[in-house]
Amino acid sequence: MKTIVLLSEANDPISGRPHLSRLEAQAIGLAANLDKTPQGLHVGPSEEGASAALGHGLSGLDVVETSVGEDPLPAIAGFLKNALNGNEPPALFLCGRRGEGGLETGIVPYLLAEALDLPILADAVAIRPGEVQGTLVVDQAMAKGARRRVTVRLPVIATVHALAPPPQPFAYGRMRRGELRRHRADMIPAAATSAESTTPVVGSHEERPHRARPKLMRTSGTSAGSHNLHVGPEPDEAARLILAYLEENGIRRYGND
Amino acid sequence: MSRIRKDPRAERATKTVAEAGRRPRLNLGRREAGPASGRPRRDPWREWAASLAGETVIGPERKRYDRSQRQMNRADAARFARARPGLDATDISPGQPALRVVDEPAFVVFAVLEAAGGRLSRFDRQVLGAARLLADAGDGGGAVVAIMPESVEGLGEAGADRVFAMPEAATPAIRAATLRGAVDELCPRHVLFAEDGDSADIARRLAASVGEPLFADVEHLTARQAVRAIRSGRAEIGLAPPRLMSIGEDRAKPYEAVPCEARPLETSAPSRLDDPAILSVEIIPGDPAKLALSETDFVVSAGNGVSDFAAFRDLAAAMKGTPGASRVVCDAGLMPRQAQVGASGTVLAADCYLALGISGAPQHLQGIAGCEHVIAVNTDLHAAMIERAGLAIVQDAQLVMPALQKLLQERET
Ligand SMILES: Cc1cc2nc3c(=O)[nH]c(=O)nc-3n(C[C@H](O)[C@H](O)[C@H](O)COP(=O)(O)OP(=O)(O)OC[C@H]3O[C@@H](n4cnc5c(N)ncnc54)[C@H](O)[C@@H]3O)c2cc1C
Repeated sequence: MKTIVLLSEANDPISGRPHLSRLEAQAIGLAANLDKTPQGLHVGPSEEGASAALGHGLSGLDVVETSVGEDPLPAIAGFLKNALNGNEPPALFLCGRRGEGGLETGIVPYLLAEALDLPILADAVAIRPGEVQGTLVVDQAMAKGARRRVTVRLPVIATVHALAPPPQPFAYGRMRRGELRRHRADMIPAAATSAESTTPVVGSHEERPHRARPKLMRTSGTSAGSHNLHVGPEPDEAARLILAYLEENGIRRYGND
Repeated sequence: MSRIRKDPRAERATKTVAEAGRRPRLNLGRREAGPASGRPRRDPWREWAASLAGETVIGPERKRYDRSQRQMNRADAARFARARPGLDATDISPGQPALRVVDEPAFVVFAVLEAAGGRLSRFDRQVLGAARLLADAGDGGGAVVAIMPESVEGLGEAGADRVFAMPEAATPAIRAATLRGAVDELCPRHVLFAEDGDSADIARRLAASVGEPLFADVEHLTARQAVRAIRSGRAEIGLAPPRLMSIGEDRAKPYEAVPCEARPLETSAPSRLDDPAILSVEIIPGDPAKLALSETDFVVSAGNGVSDFAAFRDLAAAMKGTPGASRVVCDAGLMPRQAQVGASGTVLAADCYLALGISGAPQHLQGIAGCEHVIAVNTDLHAAMIERAGLAIVQDAQLVMPALQKLLQERET
């Protein structure tokens, strides 16, 4: 199954230098289980951070050079549309769930899905081929450690969650062996139709230094009034009280349902 | 119900007799009521009745009062209503109606809720609170429409004027398409999401499909501006609240005033009920025993008062909780270090904490500061954990554990 991992322009949260986002490195790990030669795509002014992806297991990386500050979406959509119409179309596109060091809205995969008219699945933690040819089984992370196992028809876009298996370690030799293909942006037929190119990622805004704001305190919902104290109940009575309290507050439900 | 506060100045003015050419005189015999100030008077009876905390269990019957001067909350108000049945229960804050009704909303604000398991989570309440804030912004008159996958109780108290239940058990793609229909039909001024799980997914699907920007993970929201962090928290942007927003957790206050009506909304929004790409969906519940303490929602924890740790581990598994422990227990090697709760262990984000035989040292209580529900089982009535708990049981944990285990087994069969 041909897989393409989309690599963003990520910056290290501490040093601010370009690096490979961890989510994308994890995506490469997932892709390597499905495809022996996973490919990458990076659109942006420099490939300084993204080229490390070769060292984490990508076998080839396409870099489309655009100017600083240019919207990468038309070029990504154009490149992928070309690939989908080619003779060996990719079946799976993986992205990180949020960017790093930029606007961090996590909306690019969705705009891309809209532009390419592909289904999109969020927060994948495990991916394997389905039993039927041309399908894929994706485990999505949900709250409280639950997973949603979805069988989906290919091709599909999936975003990767931080709970996915850790990335393969970086290997310098692997990075040197990897194939880096550079393309010029004007060689890519911009597939951008109306919607996706005009959708702003964030409205017009002014940047200012961040001010930390305290979160709401999580206090217990019990005041002295609703405090219920039971001194020396029978153990069976105590057990019943505990289970009743848990069920009343919707923490757990016990019994055969 | 409350009497009207006296206004001495106004009373004096009514008693003044002004005669031309003479000094103003006071006619103290005059018994005409002056104009009332309109400010209601305190009712000490009412406050007294509300502070009744319970009656002593042992010994001669004596009433216990909690006089820590807390604001009267809704639970107290209900108790007060029971204490003085002659009174109108809803008249706690005079001048305010018992139910808030918005008949002809000037505009609507959508609050998209998760409501997992048919209950409003804390996060859901916060999203509703944020929506309420925006609906009352400016001249007000807006209505909050709560949108969730199944019907839930308590939406009115949480601030919803209208309720729209989406078809159940739908995938995010279907929910986003249904939501799109509702957005096209009702043209909400704002659509609010929780920046978490499926809500965050649906928010982005909707933004991509209507072609509008999404202001994601809002950190600070007022009627006039919404702020979010960018560039890994080094910069921020603030604008007038845009149309599509997702709110970060613990960033907006839940609504706590007069209940709203939560009227079901009739829409003609067609529900598209198939998602051609998805072939099957299966939910695999998480195994709490394998979850990290910081991720789980329910912790069953043992302290120095527990001696049978094999039984404790079985109990934690049977209660579907993640096992935790106090430092004494971890130091003794009875539980692994990863299980330690507290300042030098894990600070929990769980909703509920069951403490068996834990005294509640300050370092331990720091770790459970964020837990909404605490249950304590301890032999010592004066332990700090008993005071912190919402359900406190003064009993030997070694006796309660087998009783719980037995009760759970009975429920299973
Ligand atoms: C710098 C520092 C950091 C620390 N950090 C942490 C931390 O992160 N986490 C932490 O937990 N502690 C921490 N501590 C230790 C903390 O101060 C307490 O010593 C510890 O929490 C006490 O644990 P405990 O409640 O299990 O034991 P105890 O204080 O011994 O309490 C046992 C309780 O069990 C009750 N009991 C006894 N028998 C029974 C029975 N049969 N049934 C029911 N109840 C019974 C007793 O009444 C008592 O209340 C720290 C201390 C220091 C100095």
